[in-house]
Amino acid sequence: MKTVLKTKLPELFEKLANNYTVFVPAKIEGISRFAPYQNGLELALEENVLMPPKDIFFPQTEKMYKFKAKDQYLEIEDLPPEEGQQVIFGVRSCDLKSIDCLDQVFLTKGFVDAFYQDKRDRSILIGLSCVKPMENCFCSSMGVDPQKGVGADIQAYDLGDKVGFEAITEKGRELLGKIETLLVEEAASVPAVEKFVLTADIEGVPEKLKNMFDHPIWDDICRKCLNCSVCAFVCPTCHCFDIASEVRGEDGTKIRCWDTCMFDEYTRMAGGHQPRPGKKERVRNRFMHKLRYFPERYDMLLCTGCGRCVAKCPVNLDITAVIRKIKEAE
Amino acid sequence: MAVTAEDVKKINPLVPIRAKVIKIVQETPDVKTFHISTMDDKKPFDPMPGQLGMLSLPAIGEAMFSVTNKGESHIEMAIKSVGQLTEALHEIEVGQEVGIRGPYGNGFPVDYCKGKDILFIGGGIGLAPVRSLIMHCIKNRDDYGKLTVVYGARSKADLCFKEDLFENWPKVPNMDVFVTIDREEEGWDGHVGFVPAYVEELAPKPQVTVLCGPPVMIKFTLPTLQKMNFKDQDIITTLELRMKCGIGKCGRCNIGSCYVCLDGPVFTMEQLKDLPPEY
Repeated sequence: MKTVLKTKLPELFEKLANNYTVFVPAKIEGISRFAPYQNGLELALEENVLMPPKDIFFPQTEKMYKFKAKDQYLEIEDLPPEEGQQVIFGVRSCDLKSIDCLDQVFLTKGFVDAFYQDKRDRSILIGLSCVKPMENCFCSSMGVDPQKGVGADIQAYDLGDKVGFEAITEKGRELLGKIETLLVEEAASVPAVEKFVLTADIEGVPEKLKNMFDHPIWDDICRKCLNCSVCAFVCPTCHCFDIASEVRGEDGTKIRCWDTCMFDEYTRMAGGHQPRPGKKERVRNRFMHKLRYFPERYDMLLCTGCGRCVAKCPVNLDITAVIRKIKEAE
Repeated sequence: MAVTAEDVKKINPLVPIRAKVIKIVQETPDVKTFHISTMDDKKPFDPMPGQLGMLSLPAIGEAMFSVTNKGESHIEMAIKSVGQLTEALHEIEVGQEVGIRGPYGNGFPVDYCKGKDILFIGGGIGLAPVRSLIMHCIKNRDDYGKLTVVYGARSKADLCFKEDLFENWPKVPNMDVFVTIDREEEGWDGHVGFVPAYVEELAPKPQVTVLCGPPVMIKFTLPTLQKMNFKDQDIITTLELRMKCGIGKCGRCNIGSCYVCLDGPVFTMEQLKDLPPEY
């Protein structure tokens, strides 16, 4: 396996940064997230980052097009295309799986989302294996292999003081070729994953939920929810968005930004009709979407077991506990 | 050439094209029909009956409307003033430039309906989407059997498409039009009463029924239709939920695992029975 010392990684990123925007896990003002590599950046390789990589492909706020509106006149103008290839290093298996989920949403079922596709096409993904699950991680319960993700161009392995690389795609092979001089070929074995603290038994849950829309369980599950949406904002798979305008005088920009089914505004119609009027309906939709609707539509769960919502929910509404309650419900 | 659904998929489906309002018809005190063409006087896109279009005054907002009719070089949207965007739309005048994108959604099953007698049931602005199919059947009159329209509104003033209801459609061969209003009023010698009861009273014998109206009308009409022994796959309705993207990505118009903008807006009773009642 081709390896590099972790202490040499900045050198490797530096080299790649000549040709690519290189996103790496970093600590920025106390929050760990993917950030473009630059000299002096504090890397965060010990555990997964708090903010998932989805905003690289699906920014929290994204400009879509510009317009000019004056009296009866209207002009609609495309934004200049973004250019340049990007490398995303250190994507854990849970987050690689989430990109697979996002690909399903944005690239399939008849329409292709051009904004997402453009960023995705310009990206090279380097996965990074996990050795020690964090306290809220349960990816292995959701069918994710913490050592090897799906859809990476290169899979990197945490070998302790080193990182090993395995090219998966042609794009990946090409990229490894560009940093060959920094890598050493040596025999290396990938360390076994340590035991997960948190687990979930998802077997049969999507099917069972088909008959649980009216089950009293939702009254219980929703009770403590604040509809604050932190779960959706840290979620690597949540992909709902709003479309809005920023207007200054005659000039405007159409933007889209992350939205969530936790909010009343999300489904409330002009005229006042609200198909999901309370938090029970909204909480139910969130979990139904992740565990039943998405599997029905795309044949995969919309939860990768990253544990971020478990870690960040202010009232500890834990999806693994929800799964357990569903399993136990009569 | 008008833009087809396939073309829309090739271009960026979230960016509207520039279009203009060429005619505005005041249907009722709070409903206007807008005729929309591209800047070079073409149809912005070629929708099938029941399909949707996203119309925008970009500085104010963008919303999904059913396309109630199409002409050689324009499409029509009948819009009720209920919110910020629709109120602004009601203020505009002919010549206003707008953004438009589409067509979206599945549309009515025009082939399935071929050769059959069809009952159209509409309430209030709910006639707007149904009208697209009525116009299609009239245009292809020989392909369809007897056409029966039962339409109701709160008052005479609130009846949409009066010219069609009282002038055009009654002249179409093998087509009956029944109109009702909720309460007696001066100058109205037609039927008075709610739509579901009127349908029951008329007891037409079609093979397929297409209905759209306020939830309360649908709720009370369905038992009537069941009494009339319709099969679930022959009760067809069109739904409306809040939409933003129109292409099944932004999430908000889901009913269970379906998206109304993409898998709908047209559903049969058979399909709705399999979905959660969240609409």
